[in-house]
Amino acid sequence: MPENTANSSRPERVTLFASCMVDQLAPTVGESTVDVLEHLGITVDFLDDQTCCGQPAFNSGFRSESLPVATRFIELFEQVTGPIVVPSGSCAAMVRNFYADLFRGDEKMTIRARRLGERLYELSEFITRFFGTDAIKGTLADTATYHKCCHLLREIGVDEEPMKILSNVEGLQMTPLERADVCCGFGGAFSVKMPDISSAILDEKLDNIETNGSNMVIAADIGCVYQMQGGLRRRGSAVQVVHIAEVLAQSIRNSSVLGKS
Amino acid sequence: MTSRAKFIANVTSSLGRTEVITPSSDDSTAAFDDAATARANAGRVMADTAARSVELTDTMAEAASTIGWKVHRVANPEDAADIVANICVQKGATSVLRSAHDILDEINVDAAVTSTGANLRVTEHSGDNNETKVNESKSAAFAADIGITGVDYAIAETGTVVLHPRSGLSRLVSLAPPTHIAVLRPGEILDSLDDLFAMERSDHMSGNLAGSMNLISGPSKTADIEGTTVTGIHGPLEVHLIILETD
Amino acid sequence: MKPLTSDFRAKAAETMVDEQVLQSLEHVYTGFFKGRLEAAGNTDNWEDLREKGKAIKDHTIAHLDYYLGQLADNVEKNGGSVFFAADAAEARKYVLDLAHARDIKTVIKSKSMVSEEMALAQALIDEGIEAVETDLGEYIIQLSGETPYHLIAPAVHKSRKEVAELLDDSYVDGNPVPDATELTMMAREKLRSVFERADMSVTGVNFAVAESGSIALVTNEGNGRMSTTVPRVHVAVMGMEKIVPSIQDLSTMLRILIRSATGQRISSYVTLVNGARKSDEEEGPEEFHLVILDNGRQKLLADEQMRESLNCIRCGACLNACPVYRKVGGHAYGWVYPGPIGAIVTPVLTGLKDASNLPAASSLCGACHDACPVKINIPRMLLELRYRTAEGKTDKQERTSSMRERTVWKAWRIGMMGRKRFDVGSRLSRLFLRPLAENGWLKKAPPPISGWTSTRDFPLISSSSLRSRLNKRSKKTKS
Repeated sequence: MPENTANSSRPERVTLFASCMVDQLAPTVGESTVDVLEHLGITVDFLDDQTCCGQPAFNSGFRSESLPVATRFIELFEQVTGPIVVPSGSCAAMVRNFYADLFRGDEKMTIRARRLGERLYELSEFITRFFGTDAIKGTLADTATYHKCCHLLREIGVDEEPMKILSNVEGLQMTPLERADVCCGFGGAFSVKMPDISSAILDEKLDNIETNGSNMVIAADIGCVYQMQGGLRRRGSAVQVVHIAEVLAQSIRNSSVLGKS
Repeated sequence: MTSRAKFIANVTSSLGRTEVITPSSDDSTAAFDDAATARANAGRVMADTAARSVELTDTMAEAASTIGWKVHRVANPEDAADIVANICVQKGATSVLRSAHDILDEINVDAAVTSTGANLRVTEHSGDNNETKVNESKSAAFAADIGITGVDYAIAETGTVVLHPRSGLSRLVSLAPPTHIAVLRPGEILDSLDDLFAMERSDHMSGNLAGSMNLISGPSKTADIEGTTVTGIHGPLEVHLIILETD
Repeated sequence: MKPLTSDFRAKAAETMVDEQVLQSLEHVYTGFFKGRLEAAGNTDNWEDLREKGKAIKDHTIAHLDYYLGQLADNVEKNGGSVFFAADAAEARKYVLDLAHARDIKTVIKSKSMVSEEMALAQALIDEGIEAVETDLGEYIIQLSGETPYHLIAPAVHKSRKEVAELLDDSYVDGNPVPDATELTMMAREKLRSVFERADMSVTGVNFAVAESGSIALVTNEGNGRMSTTVPRVHVAVMGMEKIVPSIQDLSTMLRILIRSATGQRISSYVTLVNGARKSDEEEGPEEFHLVILDNGRQKLLADEQMRESLNCIRCGACLNACPVYRKVGGHAYGWVYPGPIGAIVTPVLTGLKDASNLPAASSLCGACHDACPVKINIPRMLLELRYRTAEGKTDKQERTSSMRERTVWKAWRIGMMGRKRFDVGSRLSRLFLRPLAENGWLKKAPPPISGWTSTRDFPLISSSSLRSRLNKRSKKTKS
């Protein structure tokens, strides 16, 4: 669980790890992540050669395909020092918690993976730990609720912090989501391999979202965002599902337009 | 090779070994506490039980009430007897079974029961363990309207009554009749499950572990039909706790 | 019980359109799951207890050979008999032979998942011996000829009407359905007479205590107590892993088991039995037999990656937490153990090849791991089994992945091993998919993502990658 160590050794420079999905499907989330970090006074570097951490193949059991991709990831990000920030709880979990299993039997790589993991953070975790949950004072007038993505919650240990960060956005009326900590049904390849079960789980989530009544659902992993948004669209719902980086970046832009920050 | 030897040999090899090794102490299990430690633990429990008996009684009454015991706190044996008599009348009891716990003599339960017109039988070992006696004992229990016992221990943490069936305390007296009344004194109330099992372990280490033990926490219940909790399936539907606080 | 794990998808599909069963499965969450959370919240040192429980089980399993020997010695010292059964057939034979040898007419059964592995009740009935389940939930499914739907609530899927049809001899379709209390009283009456005449019982074992040779039963109904009291022969059947070393360990184990299973601080009854009745007792069984069953557990034990699953104390908390179980129900898992624990032990015990859908049917949300009172890392083992079905490293016979799937992942890997191809591949996909898209969303996507669009819209790949956008913004980059 990240401590609020605001004012203690704040990084001034980080490297962004986009994650493959953000990179190619939702690059605006990556841009928003950069905007948020720059707003906090950080210089953000981007390694052009990055692709993926290897999680999709690992989760599907294809470790021999995951290994070279994960190795490439480690080799690439070892070229920079300092914190690495990723707008994804599941990618952070892959590197920090699951690389040890993927590289089991290979002590050298396990150590390299662990060292890298020690300086890799998910975005909301990073903000909370080094700047505090009240560090971003943006403006965004809307009603919203927060879905707790599973890996961010259970593997990284980030629970209420994103809600706290969002509650400091002026005009944003956050209400708790019923069964916020229950899975949306994405689970990576599971969502296409067993679409009926994935959708049945999603239906329960969407019912709770509709009962909540907010205009917007905020989440910290793009896979979950797409699972929920894709389902809501299919229901003909106008509810928007937005990645937390985009909400924060927009709120910062709104504030500066209003001359607030 | 006997099936036991073969079975265990398989386990040993599944664990990647060629022979059984005796485990050495780690902090996980209490199995390595020797008899002296077990005795000391039990001593501590008894001291704690005595020292905190007022507080433990309150906790017990509350915990028991929460889980469905009808709790009666009385200051003298006569009031305890009255409660027993009232329950017999309420239930229209004709046949009552009781254990041979001392406390039941202390409150003169026999008179209380028979005064209502019910007949009373004490569960006791006649010295004869033959099939006829066994069946008779069983039938009496199944036919009884009310079963009355003292307790061997009670546990405040969980609102539990602990019984060690033996001569004078049958297994069925607290199970077969649809109503069970347990009478206890504050001094019998332990704080927690840890305390109970510390006592049991001390008994075991000194070779005196009871043949069986029942922890009873409220009436019998089930939620197997549509998740609806229903009180009283195979065990008693109604359970009473009479706490005799004569201090 | 014969494994029907290959029916997983069909059975899951059936459940997902059965409103009544889905409603019942909701109760598993709102009742048991919420109950556990509340009980854990009210227990000061809950996390310490979980750690302690895990430590006790880790220790026990690591020395299982020693503790099995100690347990057997002590049961025999108490005057009981111990039978080590390599498989369900051996265990069944022991019980049947015993029943015949003792001229048993009526067997009462208290809840035991292990006895389901042995399909014991039916085996007795086939031999002309009356065998009656006495746990209400088990009784209901015995009457309906089904297998358990949940670890601790076997009939959770049955509606009150269905139960009335089974229990109430006078119930006629169209009549008002008796309420749960009335139905329960009917069962009480029916089973009470069975208790009175039973001459043998078969119970499960929640915990077997090695140092004293005791067995502990946790129940709410009282049938466990009846079963260890009324018949002249008592047989307890257990999986070989259900041991704890010391009687004092029970305080931890009972706390975490019961609060995790139902949210109760303690069940109505906890019964500890040290063999048959003692000489100073007038009732109780004359004989006590303990049947210790392997039935494939050696495989779990020998498998270092899967060994942790033997720590399971069968509380059902993982089922109650699992969003998949809540939608597919207990029968989909095709064998005795449903839910997340079933998804990891059933494949090893009955064959991974036929059961490959079980570890696949998970979003890896981790709720089961969170819920487990002894902190079993179920997701880790789901991933391990997926590895075996995908690439079959431990035994080629376990691999079930299709050529197509292996090709897809090979192509994925190739695509991820270079930035240029990652970008080019993405832009080409967009080119290909764009005609199918509307406002940046696809209503119908081609394989391998066609499954998605059956129920959800899928986003179109972006026209430019983050890399190119950041380059455009003239951010400093390193390459």
